[in-house]
This record gives sequence, structure tokens and C-alpha cells, in this order.
Amino acid sequence: MNLKRLKFIDKPFLISLIVILGFGLVALTSASQGISGDPYYYVKKQAVFVFLGLVGAILVLSYDYSHLRRYSILFYGISVFLLIAVLVIGEEQRGTTGWISLGPLPAIQPAEFTKIMLAIAFADFLNKRKGMLNTLGEILPCLVYMGVPFMLILMQPDLGTALVYIAITIVMLFVAGANPRVLGGLLAFGAGATALMLFLHFQLGMWLPLEDYQLQRLTVFLNPYEDGQGGRGAGWNTIQSLIAIGSGGLTGQGLFNGTQVQLNFLPEHHTDFIYALIGEEMGFVGAAAVVLLYGILLLRTINVSFHAKDLFGTLITVGVAAMWLFHVFENIGMSIGIMPITGIPLPFISYGGSSMLANFLAVGLVLSVNVRGRKIVF
Amino acid sequence: MQTTNLQVRKRIATLFFLFTIVFLLLGTRIFWVQFVRGAELSEKALQNRMRDIPVEAKRGIIYDRNGQELAISISADSVYAIPAEVVSSEEARAIAAKLAAILDGDENNLYDRITRNSSFEWVKRQIQPEQAQQIKEADLPGIGLTEESRRFYPKNTLASHILGISGVDNTGLEGVDFYYNDLVGGTKGRIVVEHDAANRPIPEATHKYIPPVDGANLVLTIDETIQYITERELDKVFKERQAKSAAAIVMDPDTGEILALTSRPTYDPNNYQEYPAQNRRNYAINDAFEPGSTMKIATAAMAMEEKIVGPFSQFYCPGHIKVGKETIRCSGGTAHGNQTFAEIVEKSCNVGFVQVGLDLGLEKYYKYLHAFGFGKTTGIDLPGEAEGIIVPESRAMQIDLATMSFGQANAVTAMQLMAAVGAVANEGQLMQPHLVQQVIDKDGQVIKKYEPKTVRQVVSADTARELCSILEGEVTNGTGKNAYMPGYRAAGKTGTAQKIAPTGGYMANEYVASFIGFAPADDPRLVCIVVVDAPQGYPYYGGWVAAPVFKAIMEDSLRYLDVPQREEIDSTSPPTPEKVQVLVPDVVNLPLAEALSTIKERGLSAKVTGEGNIVWQQTPKAKTKIDLNSEVIIYLSPFEQNGENTEVTIPDLQGKSMKEVAKILADLGLHLLPEGFGLAYEQTPAAGKVVTSGSNIRVKFQPVGE
Repeated sequence: MNLKRLKFIDKPFLISLIVILGFGLVALTSASQGISGDPYYYVKKQAVFVFLGLVGAILVLSYDYSHLRRYSILFYGISVFLLIAVLVIGEEQRGTTGWISLGPLPAIQPAEFTKIMLAIAFADFLNKRKGMLNTLGEILPCLVYMGVPFMLILMQPDLGTALVYIAITIVMLFVAGANPRVLGGLLAFGAGATALMLFLHFQLGMWLPLEDYQLQRLTVFLNPYEDGQGGRGAGWNTIQSLIAIGSGGLTGQGLFNGTQVQLNFLPEHHTDFIYALIGEEMGFVGAAAVVLLYGILLLRTINVSFHAKDLFGTLITVGVAAMWLFHVFENIGMSIGIMPITGIPLPFISYGGSSMLANFLAVGLVLSVNVRGRKIVF
Repeated sequence: MQTTNLQVRKRIATLFFLFTIVFLLLGTRIFWVQFVRGAELSEKALQNRMRDIPVEAKRGIIYDRNGQELAISISADSVYAIPAEVVSSEEARAIAAKLAAILDGDENNLYDRITRNSSFEWVKRQIQPEQAQQIKEADLPGIGLTEESRRFYPKNTLASHILGISGVDNTGLEGVDFYYNDLVGGTKGRIVVEHDAANRPIPEATHKYIPPVDGANLVLTIDETIQYITERELDKVFKERQAKSAAAIVMDPDTGEILALTSRPTYDPNNYQEYPAQNRRNYAINDAFEPGSTMKIATAAMAMEEKIVGPFSQFYCPGHIKVGKETIRCSGGTAHGNQTFAEIVEKSCNVGFVQVGLDLGLEKYYKYLHAFGFGKTTGIDLPGEAEGIIVPESRAMQIDLATMSFGQANAVTAMQLMAAVGAVANEGQLMQPHLVQQVIDKDGQVIKKYEPKTVRQVVSADTARELCSILEGEVTNGTGKNAYMPGYRAAGKTGTAQKIAPTGGYMANEYVASFIGFAPADDPRLVCIVVVDAPQGYPYYGGWVAAPVFKAIMEDSLRYLDVPQREEIDSTSPPTPEKVQVLVPDVVNLPLAEALSTIKERGLSAKVTGEGNIVWQQTPKAKTKIDLNSEVIIYLSPFEQNGENTEVTIPDLQGKSMKEVAKILADLGLHLLPEGFGLAYEQTPAAGKVVTSGSNIRVKFQPVGE
């Protein structure tokens, strides 16, 4: 690849990414205090993941993304295969069959990687249908295309990740030029159907591909104390997370001093609820900084898509942006009580190897589109 | 190169807009949770934490300057239960039975308590060490011990106003314990009981123990021995004269270190609840009073510094002076006549000081008043120091200046006066008084050292030295004679101020008697102030009430500090250049205090034998000539007959002074039972009655002019 193109690399994107990673490692240091014998256990491992991710991102960046469309069928095939495999040989963790262990290697979460591969495959799929997304009939094949992996993830069941797929699909369809009225109709239909199914489930006992505890988690955030156990059941996480963030104030309780975190009142504070740790120990200053940094990262990603040299590149980056946005909104949203608890990680901050690697591959893709984009002339 | 078409770019722009909205939404909600709901959620976080088992930190020890312990922390074990563990052991009954046996309690009660639906329960707090040992050995599931501590003051009331008190939750509430709470208090530790996601304590979980950090130790500038001497002497006068309150402070003038500080009434901090709350008031720093003549030291310093007067400047006192429309008199209306400046100090001549003050002028007077630190706290490291009240300069008139010059109109605290006179004793340098010398950790390592702090040079060293010798003259020749010590050259000033009534104006019969001074006069080692608020009985003058206390404190303290005594014959001390003979006064039938002061007045000392409060006999007899400073032995008697009974007729005592009455009755062989002071107005039995000699005559006295 032409190294000269590297000078087009998006600096605000990179800087905000680096600062976010820094926030993540600092937060993890505090989160690990009470968890294991070695207080830096998680930090050390996370640092390794960051390093591996960096290598992966550089490899992806150096590869011209436009050649990727050749492999879109392969990516799609591998994804579907992995998602079926995880259902067959996967391990169950916290009620979700989402992990595959291969020999001595650490368990991986295929759904994290298939998000990226499917975004590439779907970008190619849409690129070929450019200008032919005006009617429901024309859009339906796209829904089926993404519907298959979606249903497979729902069967794990991993509702959070499944919803990420919906966000990616809708946003990519929208940018690819799909008729907004049809898209709007579909969203309305989806919401209506969900409501109807929930109604049928609760009233008439209709079977749903979700466990009851997951369903309760979806609704309890609206009234966390109404969980049948006075806030000690399904509402617990939401309540503790809100307490953690709420007691942070302007500058926080100080690193290692958040009682919610350090006394283990806040569950999963190194993964799903790490944002509540930031809110409690670093206060509004830290919490708002994180939101601002994600804002910069995502708006710069959209900027990359705006200046991509082709629609394929635009769609890939838009897909990645949709994925990150949904992760950030859902994760932070559940920490501050405006979204149901679905347990998806905060990109670049939550502890987890699969998520970190997948996100770095996505960074590689965005930058690959970025450095090969059109020069800005105006 | 294929360009993205216009539609795609429009859609991306829309996306940009939507993303921005999402982030604004998140930001707004975070703001809402952290600021609008912050207080409510912090409170909930606190409730979460309350499931911790507290482990009290030990408060640091408070030492005097020589390492004597004045306040320590003692600890006792407390028993707690984790009900979830007790229940899950399925031996709750047996545990309750064992606890009942060890703690001598009711089994059913204990059973209820240790199986209560909570995460933590106290079983019994502060138990005996043997009980704690037994519980440790029994090793009962779900039952644990934690150390709690509380303050103990081994010297009881000694230095109570300095040490202050600590509350039940082991935090300092008053005194240095309050002032230095952050250092002395330490940090509470805790035992955290692990909770699962549903907030149930996990029975077999290990408890996380966060040890408390014990408080640092304070080393005070107080010297326990001097503090003891000071308290002993102040106590005497406070009780004898039934004063409202009293205070005494001893300070090292060179450093501002407070060696003793005490107020009366006092209390025992070990069980302060048993004393009235006002006993905890530290009169020495919390209250301001009109200083009276002691303030003349400041006026004299100003005038000498400004070269308005020298020791030999001439003054004429006709007994009164007119300032504007008002007339100011010397006490008792005495005309002092022609005198030098040194003499007006010795005689405490108000008229002379009014002249000095008026010569100084308002502006200079206020400049020095502020320089001496009046009207502002001294910064002593105790809570609640009063600022005192000085007449605002903007409103001050000539008459204010005149009265201020001899110590009226302004109100000061004992500590302020102490610091100001300390400056005179320290070559004009005002030092910041302080109580804590250093803070040390439990291994004796110094954490913090408080060095002497010079506030400012108020007057020149020459002025200060000159004034010192004038003040020494006041003790040897003037109103402060009762502060005279044979072994040391003392300098100082008496003060007697009428108290201001709450309704305004001066009260007829309430005075604040004070004495402030230092010794040795040529190289002051100690400054001492004694203030007695509303002493009962006569005389109420500072020279009679406070000066003897000053003398007693200084004499013992200087000797204790091994300050060398002066040569036997010292040409600078004029009172006893050769043997002087004096007449023994007649003190028979006088109340003890009265008799003692009468004897002292003559320059004699008294030795008291027997019990009671009325003098029955004296040796040598009245009007005998003996050497100055000799001893008069007085015998007290519980009014028994003395053998032969002669009949006497009781005279009319109406309108006579206590001394006259005592004399008359003594001549008749009758005992006087006095009540009140002033002039006699009532007697039982009445005049004209015939009684046997040795009988008791009850006479009521009341002050004149009421």
C-alpha cells in the first residue's frame, strides 16, 4: 500500500480512540481490585488484547478494503457456520450459549466477529442492489439475508447482540438508499409485532425464543423496584448502577474509592457495568468525557463514510458506526436506566478479548476506507 | 473513481444528525442522574454501605510537653453476629445458649437477636476481656469480635478545657480533640460482608477486613506540673471567693507556648454528662471582659514607644479630670498629686492614664490596639475563641479614648491580654500563643512540628525593657504588692473592673479582679494571667484576689523550672532592705479570709491551725511589734466556750464595718458569725440582751448605698 496515503489518516478519530482505551485501562485497574488475587490480572490481559487488536487493525488497514467484496459470500458462509457451531458445541455462560473453546486457546465469542464479517458481506449485498431498494419486495431479500444470522443469535439467546444486528441492518439500508417510508413501516411493524408477542406470551403463554428472566430484564428498567423482590431481583443491576453513577457527583469518589464498585454492590463492573464505575469514581467529568469521546469517534467515522471513494466503503463504515453507536447507546443507556439490561460490552473499555479484537478489526476497516478515500478538495 | 451520489450523502448527513442527537440524549441523562438525583442516590449508596461492620480507629494519645499522658484511648471488644451465617450453621439455639452463658444474658433474647433478618447485629458492646477471650475460644459460627475504643482521661479534671471531650461515636467534640480531630481521629476501618446480586450476605464468604488507621498523637506545650500548680491555686481562690468563673494561663513569652491554661468552673471529661454544660465553657478564651487597669500596660507601652512619656515624666493628679462633659475620677477619688510616669503606673492612677491616652490621640491608640492583637482572635488552637469587642474607631470619641486608656470601654479575652503582655515581656515581639508542640505517629516519628510564630514587633525592645522595670516597680511599690516574691523579681499589673450589667451601665457589686505579670523581670521566663469573675466578699481588688494567686503559681512554677533565685540582698528590691518591725494586727473573730489578708497586708505571713472559718486566738497577740515577714499563728475554732463564763450585754452594732464589729465582739469575748459584707444592719440576739461570754452573735452585713 502507498504509505503516503497514511497522511490522510483521521487524527481526531485516532486520538479519541487512544484516550478511550486509556480510560478503559484505568477503569479496569479499579474494577479488578476486589475481583482476584492479582489486582492487575484483568488489566494485563486487556493490554494483551489491545496489542493483538492493534496488530490486527494494522493488517486490515494495509489491505485495500475494496478487494474484500470478492470474499463476501465466504464471510457470510463462515459467519452462519460459526453461529450454528456455537449453538452445537458452544459453552453456556450466564445463560447464553455464546462461547467456543478450541483446545488450549481461550474461549472466543463468534458473534463479535461475525458482526464485522456480516457488515462487509451486507455492504456488498446492498452495493449490488443500489437503486433497487424502493419497494418492500426489493427490500425483503435484504431482511432475509440478515435475518438468518439474527435468528441464530437470538437462539443462543443473546438479545443484546441480536439487536445490534438490527441496528446495523437498518442504518446500512437507509444509507444505501432504501425507501424511508418502507423502512419506517418495517420498524413500526417490528415494534408492534414485539409488543403483540409479549402480550401473547404473558397473557396466553405463547412460546418465545427468550427466557423469562431475559424478558423481565427487558422491562424492569422502567421500574427497577417493581421486580417482585423490592429491587433485589431483576431490578438490582439497574438500581445499583444508578446509585453508583448518581453518587459520583462532579468529580467522583476517586479512583479505587467508589463504594458501589469496591464493595461489590455493582455487579459486572469490569464488563457490562464498567461505565457505572467511571460515573462513580470519576464523576460527571469522567462520564461526560467518555460520551464526548465516543461522539468524536463516531462522527469522525461517519465523516470517513462521507468521503469514501465508493459506496461499498461508505456502507462498511456506516455499518461499523451503527454497530458502535448501538453498543455505546445500549451499554451506557442501561447504566443510566434508560435502556433495558441486555449485557453488551462498551467498545474499547469493557473487559473482553473477543470484543476488543473485533472492534480493532473494525477500526482497521474504517481506517482502510479513510486512507483510500477521496481527497477533500473544497 | 466512483463518487457517492447525492442521495447517499444526504442520508449520511441525516445519520450524522441522528447520531448527534443520541449523544446529546446520553449526556443530558447523565447530567440528570449525577446532579439532579445525585443527593438521593448518594444517600442510597450510603445505605448500601451501612451493611459494613464498623471498626473504630483509636484516637491518638495526647501528651504534655514531657510525655505525660493526658488523654488516651482504651479499647474494648464488642460482639456482633452475622444472622445469615448463624442461621445457615443450623446451630442457632446452641450458639444462643453459649452466648448467654458467657455474656450472662437471656438466651431467648440473644436467639432473637442473632437470627434477626438483617445482615449485621450487635450482640453486646464493650465486654470484659475475659468474656472476649471465651468467645474467641468458643469460635461460634456467625459470631465475631471487633474492637471499639473510647477516650479515657487518666488525670480526670486536669486540663479538661484544653483536652475537651469526645462523643460516643469517638469523635472530638471540644478542645484540642476537636481542633485537631482530622489528625487525632484516624480513619475508621470496616469489615465488609460480601453480598450476592440479590443483597443476601453469602454465609461462607470471607469477610473483607479494612483495618482502621489509628490517629496521630499530640504533644502539647502544656507542662503537667505547672498545669497542676495553676489549677490548684485557681481552684482555691475560685472556691474561697465563690466566684462566678475564673481563668489562669501561663505562657512562655519567648515562644508563645502555653504551659498551663485552666478555667473555672471545671468538669471531668470522663463523665462530662454529670456536669452542667456551662462548666465546659473555657472562660480563658471563650469570654471577653473589660480588663480594667491591666490594660494600662498596653497604654503605657504605646506612650513610651511614641516618646510621649518617659519614666520620669511629671504628672499631676487632682483626683479627677474632665473630658468633655464627663468627669473621670481615680478610684476612691484619691488625689495622687505630683508624680512621675512610673508612679502613675505603680499607683494605677486613672487620671494620669487619661492624660497619656489623650496625648496619644485616637489614631495612634487604635494603631497599637490592633498591633497588640486586640479585637481579633489570637489564633490559639482551640475552638470557639472570642474576638472581644473594641469600640469601632469610626465612632470613637475623646471620652472613649480616655476610658480605654485605663481599661474601660473595650472588652478583651484573657488570652488576648496574655499575648499582649507577653509581647512586652518578649522585647516587644508579639508571639502567637499555641498549645500543640508537635504531632507524632505511634512510633514517635514527628509528623508535624509547630514552631514558635512571631506575629509582629509591636514596640521596640528598648521600650519593652523600660516598661518591664516600671512594672516591676508596680509589684514592689504599687498596687501589685501581693504578687511580690522574695525569690524572684516579678513585674505585673493589677486590674479591677466593674462589670457591665446586661441592661447597660456598670453593676455596683460585681467586679472582675485580675492580675497579669511575668518573672523574672529582667529575663522573663513565664507570663501569667489570673482573672476572677465576680469574687464574693471584700476586698474584691485584683491586687487582693488575683495577685496572690499569680504569686503562688509563679513561685512554684519558677522553682519547678529551676529558674535561679535572686541574691538574698538585692539592691533593686526596696521593700526589705533591713529588718523592719511591724505591729501585729488584731484578727480575732475575723473570718479566715479576712484575717489572712489583714495579716498579709502588714507584710506578715499566717500559719493556720484548727478547723472552722473564724479566728479564735492569735499568737503573737495584737499590737505586738515583730519583724516583717514573720509568722502569725492563728487558731480556728468551732465556737467552744473558753472556761469562765462572764455575762455581757450585747452592744448595738448597726452601721459598723466588719472589722469594727469583730473588734467590739472580741473585746467582750463573743464570737461573730458574719453574713454578707459591707456594714452591719441586723444582729441576733438584739442589742441590750445579756449573754454569756463565748456566745455566738449573728450579724448581717450589706453593702452601702443599696
